[in-house]
Amino acid sequence: MVRQHGTGETPRPAGYYHLARAVLYREYLIFVRYPANAIGGIIISVFFFGVLFYGGQMVAGQALTDSIEGIIVGYFLWTLSVGAYSAISNDIASEVQWGTLERHVMTPFGFAPVALLKGVAKIVRTFITSTIILAVMIGITGTTLQLNLFTIAVVATLSIVSVLGLGLAAGGVTVLYKQIGNWLNLLQFGFIVLISAPAFDLGWMRFLPLAHGSALLQRAMVDGVRLWEFTLTDVGLLIGIAAGYLALGYVVFQYATRRARRLGVLGDY
Amino acid sequence: MTVRDNGRPSSSEVDGIAPGEGSASKSVDRPSFDDSAVSEEIEPVHDVPGGVDTATVDDHDAAVSVTGLKKRFGDGTAAITAVNDVSFEIETGSIVGLLGPNGAGKTTLIKSILGMVLPDGGTVRIRGIDVYDRPRDAYASVDAMLEGARNDYWRLTVQENLRYFATISGVDPDSVRERHERLLTQLGLAEKADVPVRELSRGMKQKVSLASVLAGGAEVVFLDEPTLGLDIESSRTLQRELRRLVEEEDLTVVLSSHDMDVVETVCDRVLIMSDGAVIADDTVDALLSGTDLHCIEITSSDLVASVVSTLENQFETITVEPRDRGSRIEVTTDSDGLYELLAHLRANDVTLERVRTIEPDLEDVFVDLTTLERRDE
Repeated sequence: MVRQHGTGETPRPAGYYHLARAVLYREYLIFVRYPANAIGGIIISVFFFGVLFYGGQMVAGQALTDSIEGIIVGYFLWTLSVGAYSAISNDIASEVQWGTLERHVMTPFGFAPVALLKGVAKIVRTFITSTIILAVMIGITGTTLQLNLFTIAVVATLSIVSVLGLGLAAGGVTVLYKQIGNWLNLLQFGFIVLISAPAFDLGWMRFLPLAHGSALLQRAMVDGVRLWEFTLTDVGLLIGIAAGYLALGYVVFQYATRRARRLGVLGDY
Repeated sequence: MTVRDNGRPSSSEVDGIAPGEGSASKSVDRPSFDDSAVSEEIEPVHDVPGGVDTATVDDHDAAVSVTGLKKRFGDGTAAITAVNDVSFEIETGSIVGLLGPNGAGKTTLIKSILGMVLPDGGTVRIRGIDVYDRPRDAYASVDAMLEGARNDYWRLTVQENLRYFATISGVDPDSVRERHERLLTQLGLAEKADVPVRELSRGMKQKVSLASVLAGGAEVVFLDEPTLGLDIESSRTLQRELRRLVEEEDLTVVLSSHDMDVVETVCDRVLIMSDGAVIADDTVDALLSGTDLHCIEITSSDLVASVVSTLENQFETITVEPRDRGSRIEVTTDSDGLYELLAHLRANDVTLERVRTIEPDLEDVFVDLTTLERRDE
């Protein structure tokens, strides 16, 4: 319901386009105006990769060099995952502290589209930083990867959508139990196991977040397989896992916020 | 003064004065609710256990309609009743103050109305729309500035916040540019429009928070402690702006504040809460004129320590200022108390050197009502 404000203006209702523009533009402003966080994250990620690469070379020598493509792809996916997960879970925790979560819950759009758009914004931002890290890693190691951008974008995005679901769930739990947020950040290290899961060659592990996507991304970036060259089962499974974990995360978030409203702790920090 | 019957004696009854006696204003009309025609049966609250069975409130034209709202936290003996069967209506284009001591249930009530706290029972309608059944529809016309929260993004500029929250509240920000400009001017933020909020003073931040709540043109706004941290001038500007919005744009405001001056100055009507219940609901004038309170200041060299000590035990609302000889005391009490005070002074041979009566203000009425409530428990 929009009304006249006595200014001669006729306010127009905002649509989902306006909502998307507002949420993405806010993310863009924060990114360009306060680049220290992003730059710091890139430097730390590159530093740890350098330790991994040069330290590994000293210990394992040629063995490491032979598998460096797989390590780079895995590390790239890990930085994407950590970025998406921590961005969404920390963002929810911050919104709780700032008192802005309530305002997003109170929007006539409903919280779901807002949360989804925030997730998209986080993914876009994470892609930018992780792409820079990937470029540096390739430069450091002198490795050549198959960079079919379309395939990489689709497979990597679908892979980290499942992590976004985990981030939403973690954010929901943080709304309910405020101090648990820092502990949930430790989940990020579990992503390493999930990303390297295909190496275990256990079928059921493909249903875990990241595992199947990681396997496909390795094939795309190391072996040069294009998206349309994957089997329908592989692509369908990738989409299904992404949608499933995102839905699961949203359900957990909804349950947690509803429980928080019942207990009267939504927004109380 | 209209004092709510919550199954406990009203202040008038406690004072031993029957309704209608003691003050001509006992029967002062307040915005109609109790007498309104029963024309619509509200369905029990969707998804809320223990929803009202037969709530009957005509919410025609009401900006906010609350019926039988209940909320308890915890179980068993540790349970706390935060909102206890609260019902009221707020008419469009008015400012209603929500007063109560800490823990009275004001914030829980506001959050329950907004759906941020799910009640155990009751219904809430904003502009006739059930908040629990159709939250998205209801949220199209309401926004809130909650206590102790930033409510906006400090890394964005003032202008960016207004645009963002206008969009979030369902309005294309390009279509309300003039409104934003006027808000910024009225609140003294025009020169700070392009400054990140984090760089502003606390008072300025509070104003930005308020501006962002008003940015989308909400028809009903809930403001929890809106003047907290503001200097006197800013507080007055904000009060003027609220009144202007109410009078010119039919804005409805529910304002919770510990600042009695703000409530007394700006509110059309006041709800006073104690222990989760609304114990008084009336206009400021009616509350003031309807009170049986007398505030009296007495100066005497005979008001020595022993006399004053007895008075302090007898009267809860007494302030004492020792003098070189004797004391100056200020006592707020009802008619009976006034007689007792004078009798006590006479019994102690206190010569009244200077006597001055002071008009009771909203704070006196508030303290009187909430003290009586606590004493009744």
